[in-house]
Order: sequence, then C-alpha cells, then structure tokens
Amino acid sequence: MTHATTTASLMRPPFPAERGVDAHNLKLGMWVFLASEVMFFTALIGSYVILRFGAPGEWARPGTVLNVPVTAFNTFLLICSSVSMVKAFAAIADGNQKMLKVWLLLTIIGGAMFVGIQAYEYTHLVERGFLPSGVRDGSELAALVANGTLPQATMGLYGSTFYIMTGFHGFHVTCGVIAMTYLYFTKALRGKYTQQDYRGIETVGLYWHFVDLVWIILFTIVYLI
Amino acid sequence: MGFWRKYIFSTDHKIIGIQFLFLSLFFLLMGGLLAMQMRWQLGFPGKPMPGGGILPESMAPGGVILPEYYIQLVTMHGTFMVFFAIMPLLVGVYANFLIPLKLGAHDMAFPRINMASFWTAFLAGMVMLASLFVPEGASRAGWTMYAPLSARLDLSGAGLGQSLWSVSIVFLGLSSILGALNYITTIINNRAPGMTWFRMPLSVWSLFITAILGLLALPVLSGAAIMLLFDQTIGTHFFDPPAGGQALLWQHLFWFFGHPEVYILILPAMGMVSDIIANGSRKPIFGYHSMVFAIIAIGFLGWVVWGHHMFVSGMNPTLGSSFMVSTMVIAVPSAIKTFNWMGTMWRGNLHFHVPMMNAVAFVAMFVIGGLSGVFMAATPVDIHIHDTYFIVAHLHYVLFGGSLFALFGAIVYWYPKMFGRMMSERWGKIHFWLTFVFYNLTFFPMHILGMAGHMRRLYDPTQYDFLKPYQPMNEFISVCAFLLFATQSIFALNFVISLFRGRKAELNPWHDNGLEWTLPSPAPHGNWTQVPSVYRGPYEFSSPLVAEDYLPQTQKLPTDQEPAVLAGAAS
Amino acid sequence: MDTVQHKHPPYLLIWLYLALMTAAELALAFELPIARNLKLVLLLGLAVWKALLVAMFFMHLKFERWNLRILFIIPLPLAALFIFAAISQKFW
Repeated sequence: MTHATTTASLMRPPFPAERGVDAHNLKLGMWVFLASEVMFFTALIGSYVILRFGAPGEWARPGTVLNVPVTAFNTFLLICSSVSMVKAFAAIADGNQKMLKVWLLLTIIGGAMFVGIQAYEYTHLVERGFLPSGVRDGSELAALVANGTLPQATMGLYGSTFYIMTGFHGFHVTCGVIAMTYLYFTKALRGKYTQQDYRGIETVGLYWHFVDLVWIILFTIVYLI
Repeated sequence: MGFWRKYIFSTDHKIIGIQFLFLSLFFLLMGGLLAMQMRWQLGFPGKPMPGGGILPESMAPGGVILPEYYIQLVTMHGTFMVFFAIMPLLVGVYANFLIPLKLGAHDMAFPRINMASFWTAFLAGMVMLASLFVPEGASRAGWTMYAPLSARLDLSGAGLGQSLWSVSIVFLGLSSILGALNYITTIINNRAPGMTWFRMPLSVWSLFITAILGLLALPVLSGAAIMLLFDQTIGTHFFDPPAGGQALLWQHLFWFFGHPEVYILILPAMGMVSDIIANGSRKPIFGYHSMVFAIIAIGFLGWVVWGHHMFVSGMNPTLGSSFMVSTMVIAVPSAIKTFNWMGTMWRGNLHFHVPMMNAVAFVAMFVIGGLSGVFMAATPVDIHIHDTYFIVAHLHYVLFGGSLFALFGAIVYWYPKMFGRMMSERWGKIHFWLTFVFYNLTFFPMHILGMAGHMRRLYDPTQYDFLKPYQPMNEFISVCAFLLFATQSIFALNFVISLFRGRKAELNPWHDNGLEWTLPSPAPHGNWTQVPSVYRGPYEFSSPLVAEDYLPQTQKLPTDQEPAVLAGAAS
Repeated sequence: MDTVQHKHPPYLLIWLYLALMTAAELALAFELPIARNLKLVLLLGLAVWKALLVAMFFMHLKFERWNLRILFIIPLPLAALFIFAAISQKFW
C-alpha cells in the first residue's frame, strides 16, 4: 500500500461509502479548490500575457524597475518553506510530533518573512514612483521614462499587471500563513495530530505547495522576462 | 439547538437549500419588477408609469423613465435574474437539497463551508441590491458589463454603483466556488454503498457537471471583476485602450466564464426534468447512459464556444469559423437529450401532475430556444441579429421557457420533502396554463422584432422610422408581460399558503424511486441514522419484478446482493 | 492491518534541484548572451519544470491515483485555450 491509500483507509468518513478517489474528503476538497485557484490565476496571468503580447510598445527590461536580487532571495525562501512544509508532513506521517512542530513553525516563519519582504518591496517601489496605474509624475521612475530607459507606452500596463498578480499571490500567501498559524496553535502544539490522523497537515500542505508553485511561475514571467 | 443555530446559521444542507430558495425567490421578484418597468417604457415610451411617482426625480421625473434609469433597469434585470435568481435556484437550492439525499449521505462533505457559501451569496445579494439605491444609481453597462463603458465613470456616470456590482460579483463567485467544491467532493466520495456512478439520478449527474463548470468558470469572472474594479477605482489600465489596455480582453474574460455559465443555468434543469419525466411517464429514462454522456459532452464543449458571443467584435474569420463549428456541434448532445425525453414519454403511462406539465413544457420551450440558437450559431446570420431582440427571445426561451419552467416543476415536486406539505394541484395547473400562454405571447414575437432589426437595450424604439410599424407589437408584448407577471402571484400564494394549509404530505407522494422519498417529509437532521444500501438505478418504473409501478433504489428484493463495497470493508 | 510503507520521496534532493534551477534561471536571464526568443523558451521551460517538481513530489501527485491527478490537469488546457484564442484574436 502506498502512503495515499493507507491514509485514505485510516481516515475514511465514519460511514460506509462507495469508493471514490482514494483520498479523504479534506484532501479531495483541497485539490478541487486548487483547480479553481488555477483558473483564478489563469485570469490574472493570462491577462498579463495577452496584454503584453498586444502591448503598443516595448516592455520595460527586466531588472530596471523591480529588485531582482531581493526577490530571488524571496523565491528561494518560499521554496525553502515548501520544503519545511513537506518535512513537517513527513514527520507526522512517521509519528514524530516534535519535528512536526519544528518544521511547521519554520514554514510559518518562512511564509511570514516572504510576505514581509514583499510588502517592503512594495513600499520601495511606490516610493520610487511605481504604482498600479503606472509611473507617478515627478518620481524617480518618471525621470527614467523621460530619458528613455523605461518605455512610456507600456508602463501603465506594467504597473497594473505587476501589482494585481503579485498582490493576489501575496494575499494567498498571507491566508496560508494565517491558516497554518491557526492550526499550529490549536492543533499541532496540543498534540492533536497523530500518525493515525494528520489530515489537516496534509491539506494545508497542499495549499502551501500550490502557492509556492504559482510563485515559481510568477517569478519567471514577471521578474525575469 | 437554539433557533439561530437551527434555522439561521445552520450547517444542515436541507436548511441551507431552503435559505437559498427564499433568497432567490426574492431576487426573482426583484428581477421581475425591474422587467415590468422596462416593458412599460418599451410599450408606452415616454408615458408616466403607474406608481412611478415613488421613483426619485433623477430616475423618473413625473413617473417618466429616463434613459439613464432605463439602462440601469436593463443591466440590473439581467444581473439579478442570472446571478441571484436562476443560478442560486438551480444550484444553491437543488444541489444543496438533493445531492446528499439522493446519494444516501448524511450531509455535504463540508457542512460549515456550505453555510459560508450561503451567507457569502446573501452578502453578495445585499451589496447588489444596495447598488440600486446609491445616489448616482446602479451599474448601467448591461449585465455583460462591457469595457470601457463599465470601467470609466466619465463614460457611464455610474461610480459607486458600478464598483458595488464588481464587489458583489466577487463575493458571488466565492460563494459559487465554495459550493461547487462541496458538491464535487460529496458526489465523488460520499455515495452510499451500491450508489455507483451509473446508478446516480440524472439530476445529480447534471449537478455534478454543473459544479465542475462553476468551479472552473466563476474564478475567471471573479478575476475579471477585480480587474474591472481596479480600473474603476485605482487607475489600472487592463481595459483602457489609450494606455495599451484591451477592451476586448474584458469580452474574452467575461464570455470565457459566460458561456459555461449558461450551461450552469440549463444543465440542472435538464437533470431535474429527466427525473420528473421518468416519474410522470412511469417508465425508465430512455437512454440513461447517452443522457449521462450528453451532459458530459455539453459540459466539455461549453468551454470552446465562447467566441460566438463575439462574432461582431472584428475577429479573424478563421477564428470565428472555429467557434461557429463548435457551437453547431454542441447542439447535438442537447438534441440527443430531447429525443431521449420524447422516447421516455412514448407509450408511457402518462400522469400529467403539475411537475410533469412543467417538465414537458420545458422540453418544448427548450427546443424552440435551441433552434433559435442554431440560427445564431451561423456567423453570417448572427452578424445581422446580434444585439437584437432575436437574442433576447432566444435567451428568454432557454432561461424562462427552459430553466424557469423546470424550476416551477422542481419546486412543486420537492416541496413535500422540504416542507412536509403538498402545494395545491388545482392552482398549480391554473398557474401553469396561464404562465404558458402569457409567456409565449410575450416572448415569441421578440423573434420577429429581432429579425426586423429591433435592437437590444433600446430606450425608445419609436425614434427610429423603421421600427415605428412594430410599436403595436411592443405594446402587445408589454401587456402580455404584465399579465405574465401578475400570474406569478398565483404561484407565490400557492407556495406561501401551502406552507401552512397545504395537505400533509406522505412519505412518497409521487411514487418515485429516489432515496429522498424513503425519508420522512421533511427529512430529519443527518438524514439517515444508518446509511442505506442501494441495489439498482433510479428509473425502475413499471418493473416486471414487482406489482407496483415503481421500485425504489433502496428496496431489497430476494434476488439482490449487498453492495460489493460493503463486503470489502468488512475484512 | 496497516503496514505503512514510509518511503518518502527525496525531499532535500528536490530542494537542491529547485535551488540550482533558480540560479540557472537568474544566470540565463541576466548573464548569458543568448537570443531573446530562445531565452524565453528556456526560462519558461525551467519554470514549468520547477512547478512540476513541486506538484509531483511535494504535493505527492506522482503517487496518487490518476483520478486525483485529472482534477489538477483539467484546468490547464482550458487556460491555454483561453490565452491562445485571445492572443490570436489580436494578431490575425
């Protein structure tokens, strides 16, 4: 038996039912929810691709507006937090409650740091004159537009797409951090997760990996291209 | 359990279904009231409307509807009807009420998320209602909310009202997504032993595919609505052509959602009609498997036809042709279903109870709506009739003639299981006939108007010489519409009075086979103390195995085996 | 009754791959003198590959039954179709 089917039989609903997929309801529900999230990000990311393809001019060169080194570190951080999340999952699957708490806490800290760094980046960008509506008059970036370093025709689109994609991603990360913190205090710390039943960890883990996955795509198409 | 936990903040799927029922019937009434005002203006342009005195001077001075108000009526009629009446009636009510009952489950997979789904829809509805009352008025770019009109205050004149529309839609999207994930999880994982996929009733199959459509389409609308909100409020440029944005991007986003949405609005109706027609014919549904595959095909094809709403947007003819072909193809599974309904009724022992009458009317009206759809699918034809009353006729034939008649049938059919009483059969028949007559008189002439070039969302047809000869038809339609609306009071009274004075319902008043009819009317919290076993499909009517003309899914005959999955679990 | 097989996938190895690929992306985007279109294809390919690693190993999709994997796969062609159609409308 694999991991998946074992946990399914351990965590069946407490009543007989036809065999569905071999996954408990929380896990199935989370996968279903993630399918809807794929479509939500499709609307945002798809619009970005469509707008950029049809843009009336050149797009700003990567690194001229956004801080790639700091965001690269942030990307690495989020990937690390995904690893700590899966280590937390593996720990409780092996029955190790202590390491579950350690890895889960590290994940929460990693996620919170990601949001913090992103928020700091936002304030910095706004200060330099980069807004959802484009470049603010009289700002540092406005000077770059004036001297031709930045393309005037597409900065409005750049701002709009940048903030909506990274903003909603950041919102999703924040919700994940809140959810994990809640589970950490109400369940993990109190020993409510056991080798027999760790459905909540598995479920929140799936959400967290998804959020990381979306960022992997976003980092490339927003910051590097 | 206190009153608040039991009836207001309930996690019981049946209560939540009933809450959705009251919410959506309220919005159906709202949508109807808006339509009555529209029809007044169209039938009697520029004349003071009876009762129009209560409207503010900015909307209707002296009771005469202003163009700015008229376009709000048009927009909000569509918005209320699609998002807050038909969608929640079909999905919020019947997915919630029927799925666990028909599958033998105690409740939905996630009861608390289910409750959240209702209250989010409620919030969305209140926000949308509020938008009617803000000083500058409600949104006014049509329910399809095309940019740039919808994105710019200086173009539309609607500021807060427009933003509230977007906010409301985001909440509604969230509600639908939460609901959909519940329905999908429950149907996949919580079927009673013996309830295999191909023993599920067609109502459940259709709700399953509908939930998948909703799960994947609503997020796109939510994303689009957020982008629109940002264009309106914080100065982004998604749909702003001068800054490089694309107005057509809105249309693509909206219709990519919008086409699956219309299948969300018809599939559950088709499913429930199947259940009712099989019951009223005392025969198994003809071609059950092909019905299932047709539902799946419609659900799948529904994703690749959205461009047919955009034939006049200037798209490349090759792209247009591919949408034309896919649109024609999608008529096929619908036709299969139509023939199967006819095959079910053929040589059946027909019982024309009120639900059956409404279900059969559904089939006939849906055929008319579908046929007009075939006209529209042909791009060269659509170029002439796009944005005319031909489209309005089509959409009302499928949404009212289709979905709403199916809903009348469904509401009467499952009323006893919801409330423990029967609605009046006599008044149900009177309501049906009057509605059927007035409905056809109201909407059929719109095909003719459309062919003549009468535009949609038009404030005053008499301003055009070529439409002046058709004004008597507009008047006729309006009068019939008023009579149609008045007739619905019969349904409303029947519904409300029967709650208190209706004949007490027995366990299985329609002699149906579904699992819900084995429970008391109304069903208790948790439905079953012990999950039942299922031995057969849901359409075993007039079976040679038993004397009665129906054979419930959970009735064990001496020749029946226990479901295989129970044997497995025992080891 | 439950002999659970605890063969976890090599999480730390996957982490290493992800870190290396991220570094490769940065080098590709900023340092290496490669034609723009090729760069685009390579960067997207790397991003998709990283995403797949996360999905397959961290989200355990590799070890689930096909009917669960289908759930995640279904939206992807829809997304592609939408983007393709909207772009082709603009360009044909």
